[in-house]
Amino acid sequence: MVEGSENLAIEARRISKSFFGARALKAVDFSVRRGEVHGLVGKNGAGKSTLVKILAGAQPPDSGTIRVGEKTFEALDPLTCGKAGIAVVHQNAELHPELSVAANIFLGAEPRTRFGFVDEKTMAEEARKLLEQLKLDIAVERRLGDLDIAMRQQVAIAKAVREKARILLLDEPTAALNKSQADFLFDLIRDLAESGLAIVYISHHLDEVLTISNRITVLRNGEKVGVVEAGEADKESLIAMMVGRALEKTVRESVTTAFPAVILDLDAITVPEKLDDVSLSLGRGEIIGVTGLMGSGTRELAEVISGVSRASGTMTLEGKPYEPASVRDAIARGVVFIPEDMRERGLVMPMSVGGNISLAALGNLARLSWLNLGGERKAALSMSERLDLVPRAPEKEVRFLSGGNQRKALLGRAVFAGAKLFVLEEPTQGVDVEAQAQIHDHLRALAADGAGVIFMSTDLEELIALADRILVLRDGSIDATLSPVGLTPEDLLTAIQAQPSAHANTQSEPRSTKAATHV
Amino acid sequence: MSEAISTRSEVKGNDAKAGRLKFANIGRYTLVLTLIVIIVLTAIGNPRFLSTNNLLNILFQVSALGIVAFGQTILLVSAGLDLSVGAMLSVAGIVTALTIAATGSVLLGVLAGLATGLVIGAINGMLVATNRATPFIITLGMMTFLQGVAIIISGGSPVNGTGGLFDFIGFGSLATIPYPVYVMAIVLVVVFFLLRNSVLGRYAFAIGGNEEAARLSGIPIARIKIALYAINGLIVGVAAVVLTGILDSALPNMGTGYELRAIAAVVIGGTPLVGGRGTVLGTLGGVLLLGLVSNSMNLLGIGANYQSAVLGLIITAAVILQRPR
Repeated sequence: MVEGSENLAIEARRISKSFFGARALKAVDFSVRRGEVHGLVGKNGAGKSTLVKILAGAQPPDSGTIRVGEKTFEALDPLTCGKAGIAVVHQNAELHPELSVAANIFLGAEPRTRFGFVDEKTMAEEARKLLEQLKLDIAVERRLGDLDIAMRQQVAIAKAVREKARILLLDEPTAALNKSQADFLFDLIRDLAESGLAIVYISHHLDEVLTISNRITVLRNGEKVGVVEAGEADKESLIAMMVGRALEKTVRESVTTAFPAVILDLDAITVPEKLDDVSLSLGRGEIIGVTGLMGSGTRELAEVISGVSRASGTMTLEGKPYEPASVRDAIARGVVFIPEDMRERGLVMPMSVGGNISLAALGNLARLSWLNLGGERKAALSMSERLDLVPRAPEKEVRFLSGGNQRKALLGRAVFAGAKLFVLEEPTQGVDVEAQAQIHDHLRALAADGAGVIFMSTDLEELIALADRILVLRDGSIDATLSPVGLTPEDLLTAIQAQPSAHANTQSEPRSTKAATHV
Repeated sequence: MSEAISTRSEVKGNDAKAGRLKFANIGRYTLVLTLIVIIVLTAIGNPRFLSTNNLLNILFQVSALGIVAFGQTILLVSAGLDLSVGAMLSVAGIVTALTIAATGSVLLGVLAGLATGLVIGAINGMLVATNRATPFIITLGMMTFLQGVAIIISGGSPVNGTGGLFDFIGFGSLATIPYPVYVMAIVLVVVFFLLRNSVLGRYAFAIGGNEEAARLSGIPIARIKIALYAINGLIVGVAAVVLTGILDSALPNMGTGYELRAIAAVVIGGTPLVGGRGTVLGTLGGVLLLGLVSNSMNLLGIGANYQSAVLGLIITAAVILQRPR
């Protein structure tokens, strides 16, 4: 399709980029029309992030051109991006937590008084007008650090609008949002597109991309596979383009419900304000999925079980009282926690893959505190093989691995530590379709070997595909227990959103209530 | 360990291509290049520089600094820091000299000096492990406190009469190499294997690289930190014995400035202040750089007034050029 180039907000042509001799992008064309939401999808390593970095001016391409409006660039840098009207809203928006909302929006372009001081009054007034225009209900004088992540993201978008951005790059914008916050964001995105902004929407969540985008560009192995109209695509066809072959649709037909023995038993677990009288029992070989809106207590439950935090009530592990005073105690009993945030809480980034895998059980590799480095390498290599961890290079620093392989390394650490009970948070967040399937298979295999698995997830498909039983938390208590058999994502979502809750996030009032009625 | 590995993988990448990366590698070898340039220039300016005697002299002069810097490497790898090592050096040295003077036993003196370092180090570790305040502030307080202690217990003047210790450390040598150089070498080897092959060393890298991840892996953070600071204190005790022997007396201010030169040597040697990486061999390079620069300035007749300024410039330049990632 030939398009009138005057209608394009940004047009990248034949962009190529290599790292260390490996091709990340091969002559990729990518263009976004004015007023369009353009989805960008691809597996991890397909070249999505590289393309975004090039468009955001964080990296120069090896070859190719980028035309923004009238001007054509060989490469962009953050400064030219700002001038050309390209704005990026990252997962961790780069804002200043100590400043007010208004000061953040006007950072670097503060209105001045006659004497050269910042004109706080005008700034607050302008910021208020802007937020009102975007239908955002945020008090401009609030300290940014006091806002939740969804509101901070909204401020970042407002800032981009104030900077007269014409192209907005949204990189995994819903990663930390719950369903209603995400719906609210979608409405905001639609409004912005209507006003003429070009929006690039990058996400692993194909449903989201399909919902929000007008067109979708699919990348695979650094090449553009194609551009599709969102109306003419569905999840299966996108996955087929991403993977290169169609995957079977996951329908759970049966699950195991009888388990030989109970591995973990919780009775009346309570953490003031967080968890309220949670009781459950997990069988040996069972996989329990726990879900709920943000603030429903899933994180606290995971942390109590894995010894990170304390609760009242009683826990029993393998028939014996279980009162971990620390993570160390929990690991000694075979309970290993795999947190959601790999960068902050999971991996030691400057350390090798092997070092990360062995970290929780160095005792197995040491005699009199002297490490058997050769044995460590061997163990890490066989763990890499067992978990399909690529590359099979235990000495490589873990920060160079893709997200999926980093998650496998974390799982490897737990397996190497001899875990009998795996406690996971968002086990496949930010991971491509293939790696997700592999991680699910590994967890099933671990359960089949007699381990217990309890995972916290907000990914509906994942819950249905992986869990033998799904627990829905609300305000710290178990609100529903569901079998995944025959369960559709819609059913599950309805259960999660079942009724307005006192503790649920209520900050985005005007739109979130509207969004809730969509469900 | 991870240092060597990342070097290898990046060099592999370089074979493939990329000019900018070659520059990065020049940065990586800045230390070696700087050392070579200094050696060549000084050797041209004063041929005596390259004599065996002079080179041994340099090693002898940096031995105490080297020992302190090796200990500090362990802490920086774990994202820790001990600013009190200079004052600790003075206190442990004075305790050594006082003990020898009181008992007449060199062995008791040495043990007392080592124990002093160990105990002060352990206290630093406990304070760091149990407080939210940064190691910088905690050990800055300890430094000031120990400077006072050094003056109090010495009465403000040198403690003389270290007896046999001086004859042994100050003059003794084996195969023409002075004993303090052997002591430095032994501490180097011990720290090298501690970081590379011991569980404790691995935990130091893990805590420095990501303390929360280390905690969630079941590593007893507080205990490990106390152990690391205590080991550093013990190593400072070793340096105190060596320096007291070399000087044949313990001075209340003999350690002043050691903390900053030791940290400079560690950082020049490629260990970042944020922790998670580092090698003690790099630190050795940093120590040699500082020693060579002082020595060559002496041989080239640069006045004492200029030496500190020149040294400061070289430290700053070396750190800026080091590892431009």
